[in-house]
Amino acid sequence: MNPRFLGPLFMAPVALFLLVGFATPIVIVGWYSLMEPRSFGLTSDLTLANYRSALTEGYGAPFYWSILGAFVTTLSCAVIAWPTAKMLHARAGRGAAVITGLIAVPIFVSESVRLFGLSLFLMPGGGILAGSLKALFGVSIGTVLNTKLAVYLGLLYVHFPFMLFPLLLGVALIPQDRVDAARDLGANRWQVLREVELPLALPGLAIGALLTFVLCIGANAESAILGGQAVTVVTRAIEQRFSYAQDWPMGAALTMLVTLVTALVVFPVLSRVDLNRLIRR
Amino acid sequence: MKKPLQTLWLTAILILLYVPILSVILASLANTRYMRFPHRNWSIGAYTDAFSQHETLVLHLVSFKVAALVTILSLLLATLGAMAFARYDWRGRSIYQKLVVLPIFFPQPVLGLAMLLFFSALGITPSWKTAVFAHLVWILPIVTLVISIRLFGYDPAQEDAARDLGASRWQVLREVTLPHLAPGLISGGLFAFLLSWSNLPLSIFTTGADTTLPEWLFSRVATNYAPVVSAIAVIGTLASVAIGLVVLAALRMQRRAARQSSSASASISTS
Repeated sequence: MNPRFLGPLFMAPVALFLLVGFATPIVIVGWYSLMEPRSFGLTSDLTLANYRSALTEGYGAPFYWSILGAFVTTLSCAVIAWPTAKMLHARAGRGAAVITGLIAVPIFVSESVRLFGLSLFLMPGGGILAGSLKALFGVSIGTVLNTKLAVYLGLLYVHFPFMLFPLLLGVALIPQDRVDAARDLGANRWQVLREVELPLALPGLAIGALLTFVLCIGANAESAILGGQAVTVVTRAIEQRFSYAQDWPMGAALTMLVTLVTALVVFPVLSRVDLNRLIRR
Repeated sequence: MKKPLQTLWLTAILILLYVPILSVILASLANTRYMRFPHRNWSIGAYTDAFSQHETLVLHLVSFKVAALVTILSLLLATLGAMAFARYDWRGRSIYQKLVVLPIFFPQPVLGLAMLLFFSALGITPSWKTAVFAHLVWILPIVTLVISIRLFGYDPAQEDAARDLGASRWQVLREVTLPHLAPGLISGGLFAFLLSWSNLPLSIFTTGADTTLPEWLFSRVATNYAPVVSAIAVIGTLASVAIGLVVLAALRMQRRAARQSSSASASISTS
């Protein structure tokens, strides 16, 4: 059969599934967001009242916090993951493969387990860190638990591998002879980074940053387990609309706003990155 | 950077990544009401408690049912999707490549909430089956990418060669295409299983009255401390690690067999 037809044929089941499972729910949320406040059906008159109250009724703080948290986490992940990716790439062979594998394992341990572990570690008094320090050195320390800092640490900890792995693919796109050539021509370390390495590794960096940012926008387990009452993240605010407040259209409007923010970040980046180049060996 | 410094950096990263996991294991090794580390009495009482609770079994079974179904369905669909992604060149492929990965770049809790509204609009009561559907939306694109990476290294000329030598379409699929794809399918399946097994944000909204392991842990962890929670967290994690190791061992054996058969055929052709 002609490959021009085989492509669409093989694509059809996946495309159909995602149309039903991904696009339709978003359309339905969009429809809900236009219903009268506090209605549960899908048949009331269309109104923009929910969006008006979403923009005026103090949801700014959760939005601000989630976007800021996502931004700071993405930046810190990139700063830590960049040298790590370069080191792993430079060490060929078994050692690097083992380290890479060990970094990958925690991705598959549930977020609830890892964040629970982090909270046990940071717990004051009899926590793993505080208890050990007290027993070994007689030093008493406080705790960052239930503060914003703890939430940032949790975000950083959970999302670091999501930045590292795309970045590893990106760093693999840098040919060593280009770096050597730039050095020979007198470029200093900073110039090599800015003018040679970063542009060449950009597809990986962009995908990693995108993934980290988007996952952080939605993250709510970190603040629930580590943050106490320190912050209300945007997904928590939305959830409260649906559960306690029983105001589905309002929750739907907030959901659509988060979707909008995500789309504004995702589409420009994704349309510029060539996935083929990144994953083809 | 100097080599010892690099080793130090990488070691520090690994330690930091594993400290929380280690903390759960340490916390599970005492059966006291309050967390007081270092434990005065180390014990495995929390584990005997965990194993004697019927709930432990139920939680694992629900998580397993969901993850197993997600694995099978995503492998079936993603193999087709990957062929369209990496094997064939067709009009609209680049648009398809961008659209199919969109669910990966969407906040999961938001996706979970959207699913919940979707099910309620359709009049479907959420249960573990709807969670399978929800997990698939997020995991299917990932598995498609994993299989595509393998497919990019595939030379379609092999199929033509086999056909020229008289192989039927079915024989080509069974003896040329699938063996080459096998490592991609195995790692794709592993991704699907483990990501579903450990998923929290989608499960929270889409399992209805059923509860998966990560969900149960989340609800307990957020309320108060009990050693049995740590013990169940360790058991659930070990279960997934065991499955991962078995699959990786299978992958290795498969690779070795492939190498042997290719060297065997090479020696036949040279002799």
